[in-house]
Amino acid sequence: MTFLSSVFGGPWCIAVYTYREGIRRKLLIGFLILSLFVIFGSSFISSFLDPSAETDIDLKLIKDICVTAIAIFGALITVYISASVVPAEMETKVIYTVLSKPVRRVQYLLGKFLGIQLIILVNLLLMGGLFFIALYMRQGIMPTLLLWSIFLTYFEFLIISAFTFAVSCAATSPLVPTLGGLFIYITANLTEYLKDVEHRAGQTGQFFDNLIGKIASALYSILPNLQNFSIKMQIVNGQPNDPPTDVLIPWLVLYSLVYALAGFACAYLVFRRKEV
Amino acid sequence: MLDFIKKYQTALMAGVLLFSLGAGVLLNNQLRHLRESEAFYRWLLAAAVNERLFQENEDPSEDALFFARCTALAEKFPSFSPSDKVDGLSMIGSIAKNYENDKRLWFFAESDLAKEERAEFLQLAKKQKLQFATDIEYAEAQAGGVNIFNLFFGFRKVAANLVWLEVDRYWHQGNVYRMQTLMRTCVALDPQFVEAYLVGAWHLSYNATAQMQDTPWPQREWNAKYGQCLGEKERFYYYGVDFLREGIRRNPRNYKLYFDLGFGIYKQKLEDYPNAVKYLSEAIRLPHDRWVPRQLFLCQELNGQYGDALEGWKDYVERYPGSMTAVEVAPRFIMRNEGMLYEKEARTLRKKAKESTDPAEAEELRAQAENYWKKARDTWNALDDPYGEGRKLMMDALDLREEGRYLEAIATLDKARWDTGALFEEFSSLIMEIKLEAHIPLSVSEKKALLRESEVGLCSGMPDEERQRRLKSAESIESTFQ
Repeated sequence: MTFLSSVFGGPWCIAVYTYREGIRRKLLIGFLILSLFVIFGSSFISSFLDPSAETDIDLKLIKDICVTAIAIFGALITVYISASVVPAEMETKVIYTVLSKPVRRVQYLLGKFLGIQLIILVNLLLMGGLFFIALYMRQGIMPTLLLWSIFLTYFEFLIISAFTFAVSCAATSPLVPTLGGLFIYITANLTEYLKDVEHRAGQTGQFFDNLIGKIASALYSILPNLQNFSIKMQIVNGQPNDPPTDVLIPWLVLYSLVYALAGFACAYLVFRRKEV
Repeated sequence: MLDFIKKYQTALMAGVLLFSLGAGVLLNNQLRHLRESEAFYRWLLAAAVNERLFQENEDPSEDALFFARCTALAEKFPSFSPSDKVDGLSMIGSIAKNYENDKRLWFFAESDLAKEERAEFLQLAKKQKLQFATDIEYAEAQAGGVNIFNLFFGFRKVAANLVWLEVDRYWHQGNVYRMQTLMRTCVALDPQFVEAYLVGAWHLSYNATAQMQDTPWPQREWNAKYGQCLGEKERFYYYGVDFLREGIRRNPRNYKLYFDLGFGIYKQKLEDYPNAVKYLSEAIRLPHDRWVPRQLFLCQELNGQYGDALEGWKDYVERYPGSMTAVEVAPRFIMRNEGMLYEKEARTLRKKAKESTDPAEAEELRAQAENYWKKARDTWNALDDPYGEGRKLMMDALDLREEGRYLEAIATLDKARWDTGALFEEFSSLIMEIKLEAHIPLSVSEKKALLRESEVGLCSGMPDEERQRRLKSAESIESTFQ
């Protein structure tokens, strides 16, 4: 117990402090309000549809718009907060005060990372909660499949946040890691293209093409593929008890945790010798 | 331990990084395997539905050939046993018939036994040779290049919704043909957009045809796929059928699609009761709403399956004993079907009695027939509604016919058909039958009605064989007019 409290006590205090500080950021609140507006506004989408046709199309429209809004605004919040937490402390020189205390760098990073996750989770819960209420009011039954969709969305954000955090540990201002985070989000969604590169590269038989094909193949195996999480869009409108979906969800959670660990390890290796 | 961690934390972290990347590679492979299996599984379901319900594809398509190979392999899969097999269906078709078997089919799709078939499926999908795989996301992504999967950055469902708003706009403008094209784009973007199929088919079969007149026969054209002469209006019904079938292949576990196809189009628009029963039976096999079986029982009655309808209604009353339908509606339908069964039985026995050469046996059969006839009459008396009254008049007419009092029988039926609108078609056909039997000349409209499906039913593009068959049938009917 003493061991645990000595290892995690400090990081937890830093996490809570990071959360308190982060949740007050104006840009973050702006993103959150915007996303809540979109989720709330989606309820009026039915005004564009034929009122004589009594269908569930408006419900489907609301679901898709809300899941997309959560995915986009959530990703922006994730990238922004993951990219800015450490560089902002460097800019304000708070980091010197913290690291002069009996806190190791790994504990500091762990605390910051946990704080980021708390912010992401709270934002996701706010957006998801409003979406949940909007759906419940419209269809009158608990939209349980939505919870699975939001659950998977968090694990997608976990990967983005871990790698953006790693980039931010190498930077001194939040701008570069923010751009880096967006780049990570976009490229991780396009990992599937590497497979295409691999197929096309092998067609000429030339050494250089073969080499590119092999590199593409290696990257395809190593890099995280966020398209795996596309089932979050499928779940929300799908049928319950779909065997492939049921099997995929636990694997996706594990996948996300493993890449989050890799991202955190990268962050530490970058940060350990950083002069602060 | 803390000291050890502190001393070697950099090395430990590097180890963690390598370990997690290694695990990431393994998990990437595992997820790829699962997603490939998912694509294969969804294709198997689509191909199984096609085999079970839409065997219109005469040409052996690549899908059918590959499905046959997968089916042969499935016979060897340990968790499938010969007892799973249903007559007339392959092993996979039989397994896929019951949605509770979905897990078993999934285990087959991801098994090592199906490894080669899975790889071949992906190869065929990449070359875009499989018709039913063109909208399975993973298979589509494997096809490479710029395809719908890659567009919209994973948010294609939102794009589909925006396209649907355009569909709705075109509908209000009355631009049906443009609407149809956009509807296809919409479901290509989001193949799981079930409401798009439902509303789209409704627009095609109901709204688009609302202002159209029935196409005159000379203007119709032969449609080889459906074996029918179709004009513009009739084609729209079948556009609706095709659209829903497409939806069923992509979403085989959604009862609404089967229901709309069976009830909305086959029953209401095409009056094709065998097909209505076929698709409604599929709908009730899946988790469904309470009103779905009621429509099935109605269609079974219209299709002459009185026994099935009767069993269905009785089962419904047992399941939902306190519901308004069980208390007020079901008893009437139970009596209706019982009455019809008695009538049917009585007619069969009378026919047998006429054919029998043994006088004692014939007498016995006649007595039995009378017994059923009486039971039927009692049932219609108890029913005490216009339908029951109509049936009673019909029974009177048939009794008069038995006695050779044809004109009185026809007059009774003529009165009954105007009193009971629901039985108009049936009684009109019976009047013509009696007239032909009694050598009473048919009216012009009656002759036309009899010929509608033969001589008048000729249209351009009809194969010679079909044309000859219809002409011959017309000749044989015309010969009875003399």
